[in-house]
Amino acid sequence: MVLAISLSELSRVLVLGIVNGAIYSLIAIGLVLVYKASGVFNFAQGEFGTVAIYGAYAAFSMFHLPYGIGLVVGLAAALAMGLLTERFVIRPLFDAPRVTLLVATAGVALLAIGVEFWRTANNPLRFFDAIVNSPSSLDRVSPFGVAVSDQRLITLAVLAAAAVLLFLFFRSPLGLAVLAASQEPVASELVGVSVRRISTITWGLAALLGGAAGLLYAGGAQFSPGLITGAVLIPGFTAAIVGGITSLPGAAAGGILVGVLQALGSLSTFESIKGASFVSVFVVLLVVLLVRPQGLFASRS
Amino acid sequence: MAVQDRDSDEDRTEVLTLDELIATTTDPEPAPAEPSGPTPGGWVARVAVGLVLAWAVLCYPTNVLSPFTVGGVEANAVSEAVIFAVIGLSLNVLIGYVGTISLGHQAFVGIGAFTSAYVVTEMGQEFFIAALVASLVGAAQAALLGAVSLRVTGLYFGLITLSYGIMTQESIFQIESLTGGTAGQAAPRPLGFESDFRYYYLCLLVLALVVFIDWRLMATKGGRALLALRENPRVAATWGINVKAYTVLAFAVSGLFAGLGGALLAHRDLNVVANPFDFRLALVFIMMTVIGGLRNRAGVVAGAAFFALLRNGELLELLRVADVFAKPPISLTAEVMPLVLGPVLLLLTITLFPGGFGQLTSTVGRWLRGGPFRFVKADKEVQITDVRA
Repeated sequence: MVLAISLSELSRVLVLGIVNGAIYSLIAIGLVLVYKASGVFNFAQGEFGTVAIYGAYAAFSMFHLPYGIGLVVGLAAALAMGLLTERFVIRPLFDAPRVTLLVATAGVALLAIGVEFWRTANNPLRFFDAIVNSPSSLDRVSPFGVAVSDQRLITLAVLAAAAVLLFLFFRSPLGLAVLAASQEPVASELVGVSVRRISTITWGLAALLGGAAGLLYAGGAQFSPGLITGAVLIPGFTAAIVGGITSLPGAAAGGILVGVLQALGSLSTFESIKGASFVSVFVVLLVVLLVRPQGLFASRS
Repeated sequence: MAVQDRDSDEDRTEVLTLDELIATTTDPEPAPAEPSGPTPGGWVARVAVGLVLAWAVLCYPTNVLSPFTVGGVEANAVSEAVIFAVIGLSLNVLIGYVGTISLGHQAFVGIGAFTSAYVVTEMGQEFFIAALVASLVGAAQAALLGAVSLRVTGLYFGLITLSYGIMTQESIFQIESLTGGTAGQAAPRPLGFESDFRYYYLCLLVLALVVFIDWRLMATKGGRALLALRENPRVAATWGINVKAYTVLAFAVSGLFAGLGGALLAHRDLNVVANPFDFRLALVFIMMTVIGGLRNRAGVVAGAAFFALLRNGELLELLRVADVFAKPPISLTAEVMPLVLGPVLLLLTITLFPGGFGQLTSTVGRWLRGGPFRFVKADKEVQITDVRA
């Protein structure tokens, strides 16, 4: 195999990777939040996004609400799903083994996918409008000749905003309580922090992040049941692992990194390998877990 | 301490509510108190029920020896139930015996399917050789993953299997020279088993073989070693159990079963394509195994058959309720049914009913063998444990 990668192709891939990686970052941050609060790998995280898409779509098409309100409805649907999951699945299994919880959240995801298939059986593939929907806006920004749509720019902006907001949140008393509860649940209870309430808040936050990721990912494209679970969940998990599973900045950086690595898999050099981007994600996950399970960005554990 | 109090209450009624069931899962099994066996009438009833069960498995799907024309059952759908049972037993080895999780089992099965089809179509070999090769390839790739599981455990390993499954589906199954691309690979049935009915009996034979291997595995030293290792690998190691070797062995056995199941699935369909082997299939496998009842062979078989028949719509047809669900207010079709009903059952099994179907099959099984018809309590062990997480 000749490693003939032109500089322009490489830079194009980098831009593409960063842009795609923002979605992975959003999902990964949600996964890290839930892991810190409940110690579980939340397989329903991607489905929060898909449910938000369907919620927003229902608001547009069935009730003819304006776009912005539709997005709020979608986020509300994701939030509701997150809170219901926390209340009816996570809390009864509070003392259960972690793998049981994993299977349970996978069950939640599958239930959501099943209901989506069931309610859209006649026409599973639908179109979701972009936030900015003028044709000329598509190539307004084009670093290295890559047309970055406004949708993707907004995604990056939302990621940055989420990062800043979360940074501020974890400096607030409530955020500190969340951190305390995740590190020392019993001691936190003793000083008056309600671990249950913290769990609810964290799941709500994670669901909102997942919902936002879904709405941003779907804009300007077609969607079908289980979209986010199928397309984003695995890279999102890989991003969270790369970042060290408990680190929020690590998850954000990991998402971008996984996005770039996945884009590298689409280089013309690797064209002969089928599904090279999936292979690259698998290899990254495997290597990180085998060689450096504490994540790439952990200073010392 | 409420649980302790209830424990001492030995002579309470046997009608258990679900709450009590949970509370009593920590009970030691009370000593069997029935002094006498069943009456002659009881034996007649048991033999009759046993015969009906045997008839339902052996004769009903193929419509032989039927006193009345039943019809409406597709032998292929029932074959799938049997094949799913093989796959369920394969997953049971990992989740039930080793105590790890495989979210990429569709890859295990798919690799078996494509290997078998490749050996028959491209290399011109017999089906039985192909099935053997498929199970060996399945065992080999599973053993590799097993080696990984020695280092990466618990939730992290679950993630690896998930990513492995997706990678296999998107990459390996798309290589045209191996899998025939989107057109798929032809997989003709063996000589003498071309008809759907005869193929069903072949599947039953394989299931019997797999159940036998599983039974012998668990009844001998290897099985006890595996159970000890699932409880606590460190303690097991101090008892002289070779943790690494037995873990890899269990993975290989699981891969063997899955490869065999994949081969059967390929030749049932006469053609293998990559599409069905996606993540959702892996979740259906997990659901049917957990709902069936881990470490309970009959339960796993029942759970697998339940989901396969639900998927095909056969179960609803048999119960004459397919129309009720398919009509507009509900309009729930058979393909979607397991995705909607399955997770609900799964969550109920995990939270309330850890024994799954196994509790029911154990009850019936004990009755058939001459025991009393009394609900078998969920064993404390029957739940997913992750001491290795």
